[in-house]
Amino acid sequence: MESIAVGIGLAVGIAGLGVGIGQGLAANGGLQGMARQPEAAKQINNSMLLALVFLELVFLLTFVLGFLLMGKIH
Amino acid sequence: MDLLQQSNLPLAAVSEGKEIGWYIFFYSGLTIALVLLFAALAKKGLKSRVYTYLPTRLAEHLYLFLEGMTVNVIGPQGKKYVPFLLALWTFIFVGNVMGLLLAATPTADWSLNIAMAIITVVYVQYEGIKQNGVWGHIKHFSGPKLGGAMIIVSGLIFVVEIVSECMKLVSLSLRLYGNIEGGHIVRTSLDSIIAGIPIGGVLLPIKFFTCIIQAFVWSILTCTYLSIATAHGHDEEHEESHADHGHHSAIAEAAHA
Repeated sequence: MESIAVGIGLAVGIAGLGVGIGQGLAANGGLQGMARQPEAAKQINNSMLLALVFLELVFLLTFVLGFLLMGKIH
Repeated sequence: MDLLQQSNLPLAAVSEGKEIGWYIFFYSGLTIALVLLFAALAKKGLKSRVYTYLPTRLAEHLYLFLEGMTVNVIGPQGKKYVPFLLALWTFIFVGNVMGLLLAATPTADWSLNIAMAIITVVYVQYEGIKQNGVWGHIKHFSGPKLGGAMIIVSGLIFVVEIVSECMKLVSLSLRLYGNIEGGHIVRTSLDSIIAGIPIGGVLLPIKFFTCIIQAFVWSILTCTYLSIATAHGHDEEHEESHADHGHHSAIAEAAHA
């Protein structure tokens, strides 16, 4: 039972770490592109948001998995 | 789950940590009623030549914002999808914001989200079939045209595309559910650190931001799916051949120079 709790913590933590780094890289690229080419800012903004959304999904899948595992603790 | 938490109003009947259950019908009905009320108010100001009535101005801004996004992603022929996207945006936004004020949110329940995802994906398929015909839409799934023995690869691409089409349901619904429910869980656990002091209220601004972002994300994803499903195969080939010609002539000019 304790192993499940530790597992949930580790899973959410590692997923948050990875997704944080990934979203930071995506936002970095998007913002640099927007600063260099302000006329293309709108298109870059849309694509960047899409990339951020798909990255976020990885974390949310982990979150839901953890949520499902929480029911097994007691 | 925030302001009416301590009160005895029927709206607060769903307390924290409990399943929303059959109250989902009440809350989604309330959301629809609020959206329709806003639409009715916005319609009242349409008569004047310049829109000065506040709901009308808000609705106009929202419409122009979504129209700009649609034209950006799909192109000018995508303007006919704006009403559908507007309906999704307003419903999700009002549903999310309801969670900041009342005891429960309809969008924090997976059943409503999967229903909305099914509506979205089926509508995208319908529009794709309307644009390209049934056979053209099915061919769409098998990727680019490959000849000879590569037909096996086309079959594999077809299977993968069908699976990813079904995964759209899961990803759309889980994204909204995870964001909203996750915010509520974080707030509840922050509140329980010190009994009686709701520290989690600090999170309200960022939760409001999440509400807007999630509504926007659902509509931009619908937009992207629509643009993929309704794209014509022929037009792309034309564009490619034009691009090739342009490329060749540029190279030829460079060679001459």
